[in-house]
Amino acid sequence: MEATIEVNGLRKRYGRTVAVDGLSFTVQPGQVTGFVGPNGAGKSTTMRVILGLDAPDEGTALVGGQPYRMLRVPLCHVGALLDAGAIHPGRRARDHLLWMAHSNGIATARINEVIEMVGLTSAARRRAGGYSLGMRQRLGIAGALLGDPPVLMFDEPVNGLDPEGIRWIRGLLRSLAAEGRAVLVSSHLMSELQDTADHLVVIGRGRLIADTTVAALVAAASGDRVVLRTAHRTEAMTALASAGATVAATDREAVTVTGLPAERIAAVLGERGLSFSELAAHRATLEEAYMELTRDAVEFNSPTVRAEANNE
Amino acid sequence: MSDRFGHLVRAEWTKFRSVRRWVLGLLIAIGLTVVLSTLFASVGGTDANSAPAVADRFHFVHQPMTGDGSVVARVSGQEPSHDWAKAGVMIKQSTASGSPYAAILVTPRNGVRFQADFRTDIGGSGRTAPLWLKLTRSGTTITGYESADGTTWTEVGSVSLSLPQTVEAGMFVASPEIVEIQRQFGGTSIGGRPTLGRATFDNASVSGGEPAKWQHEDIGASMFTSDETGATESGGTFTVSGSGEIIRLQQGDDDLIFNSFTGVVFGLMAVIVVAVLFITSEFKRGMIRTTFAASPRRGRVLVAKALVIGLVTFVAGLAATAGAFLLSQPQFRANGYRPPAYPYVHLFDGVVMRAVVGGALFLALLAVLSLGIGAILRRSAGAIALLIAIFIVPQILFGGLPLNVALWVGRVTPVAGLAIMQTTKRWDTAIDPWPGLGVLAGYAALAMGVAIWQVRRRDA
Repeated sequence: MEATIEVNGLRKRYGRTVAVDGLSFTVQPGQVTGFVGPNGAGKSTTMRVILGLDAPDEGTALVGGQPYRMLRVPLCHVGALLDAGAIHPGRRARDHLLWMAHSNGIATARINEVIEMVGLTSAARRRAGGYSLGMRQRLGIAGALLGDPPVLMFDEPVNGLDPEGIRWIRGLLRSLAAEGRAVLVSSHLMSELQDTADHLVVIGRGRLIADTTVAALVAAASGDRVVLRTAHRTEAMTALASAGATVAATDREAVTVTGLPAERIAAVLGERGLSFSELAAHRATLEEAYMELTRDAVEFNSPTVRAEANNE
Repeated sequence: MSDRFGHLVRAEWTKFRSVRRWVLGLLIAIGLTVVLSTLFASVGGTDANSAPAVADRFHFVHQPMTGDGSVVARVSGQEPSHDWAKAGVMIKQSTASGSPYAAILVTPRNGVRFQADFRTDIGGSGRTAPLWLKLTRSGTTITGYESADGTTWTEVGSVSLSLPQTVEAGMFVASPEIVEIQRQFGGTSIGGRPTLGRATFDNASVSGGEPAKWQHEDIGASMFTSDETGATESGGTFTVSGSGEIIRLQQGDDDLIFNSFTGVVFGLMAVIVVAVLFITSEFKRGMIRTTFAASPRRGRVLVAKALVIGLVTFVAGLAATAGAFLLSQPQFRANGYRPPAYPYVHLFDGVVMRAVVGGALFLALLAVLSLGIGAILRRSAGAIALLIAIFIVPQILFGGLPLNVALWVGRVTPVAGLAIMQTTKRWDTAIDPWPGLGVLAGYAALAMGVAIWQVRRRDA
């Protein structure tokens, strides 16, 4: 089976709330695709539709070219962690994996393998009710890996993990992608994905905002802004404006310049004999780029932020 | 395909056995059933074996008869005081109540009967009065005849009775009590209202021995005064009034097999809780998504779940009903439930097996019904409350409802399934065993059908 997820024109509403609104994207094998958006953006809904749990109102979601519901041994095609809490607290971790294995005819020997992969060997015979959130995440990941599937989906897998666990999961995601699998990881925090994801699908209010690589996204958000720091602010602004740049004062000594490269700015200031203490090309962080992208798409933002957005 | 379904069943079995509370819940169901059944069996008792075996009350107009001979009379009229009112001729050892007899008689609704010794009952024609009746005695054989005209006689039946040389022969009238059932909360009382029968006879004669005068008296204690019962003669026509019944009394109508399983009503609550939780716990925690992601054909998942909970409950139920039966029977014996009124029964008797295995089937079907309702409602509390209401409320109300309403409830609600454990049919029997279980099976199938339809249609 081809290791891809294809989402095409997906639309899903719950009552009057539109959760996903015409979403299309593709998850490619061999890379980690970050699925980012604010809370309520429709990430979990999209994942449920991909898994055939919720029926879309419009559009399709295909896994390896097939609707999920057509898969006969789905755990061997797609592994998914949706909700780490979705385990019966009275059941031993090992038994949880055992019924999953039985349901898809997976050899029980595989259970010990995945338990070891997620580092739960010593806790596997304990009841899941006594697990910490981090341990539940690991158990959920073990379940996703059970069928050795070429496609993997993890919904907010970092939640509840300690720093060591976060480092572990980043390594796991990278290695799964390196094995040629398609890996889709959702998060509402871009920073979590900064060093992990190769590709990003950014959504807000159920719509696609960006479908791009991490590098391209940062570059786009940075723009060609240059930060200038000078004691002669007013003169500098006049000179640069007349040279064709757009200038904006950001504080008493600082000016943001757009429309001119840094070398040209330095030349213009030199011609006028205006000294400056700093001249730097601005480089946005991934987080800033994300904030920029999703500013309009935040569902539950504060009224002041909303007002600013409307004024633009 | 069937192989994959096997995977599902195996997965659901693993789910069931790996939650200790559910296994414990079924053990509690067994324990409650056995302990409470035994407890209920240990209280109460019966005097069935010391109660009189026969009723022998009527008004008798008689004269002695010696050796072979016959008694003949025409019943010219009979009042329909009761469907089983009796008017006819009789040969009886003596006027002592309970002494051996043979009689040919007519009833308002049940035709002509030849009866003897509280045992023999042979039906004749469906004729009613007026008609001729005759008994002949030849050696030890007494034969009964009926006739429309007193000329052409039809034999109805004969019986061999060893009677003394001299017996009493003549006309008699009896009319049984009308059974009245009074129902109130807390119990049912069965009472009888005596009725007075009246019939007219003519052409009465006894041959055999010396001719004698007719005498008449109440045989057995009459519920009526001597003014009300009696016999008058006017120009060869006798008007006879009498009350009572000539019958072997039905002793021991308690269903001792059914009564071995009184604890099932409590055990079933544990079964309901376990079966509901088996599905609702998945909905509560979102585990149903893991289940449906692993097995996208949801209908098959529910069927596999039903199969597992049904089989597991059947095995537990078998332990519960067999245990309850085996421990209850000695209690009943200790409380006077003994032969002849209550013959001993054994686990491997046909009707006992039907009740024991049927009781386990009842619990298994109840578990499937509970699973279905749990899948429809998706909430533990609501589903458990609904099911317990369905099974417990009728038990509480049964004594307070009018009998026909109570019987109707016992026939059309899932409670009908309890009938599979009945082994006798009484006035308060709502439905026969297998049809009763069928009603419950119908509800279980309906709930599963709706659950499968919903689970396919709704988002997980």
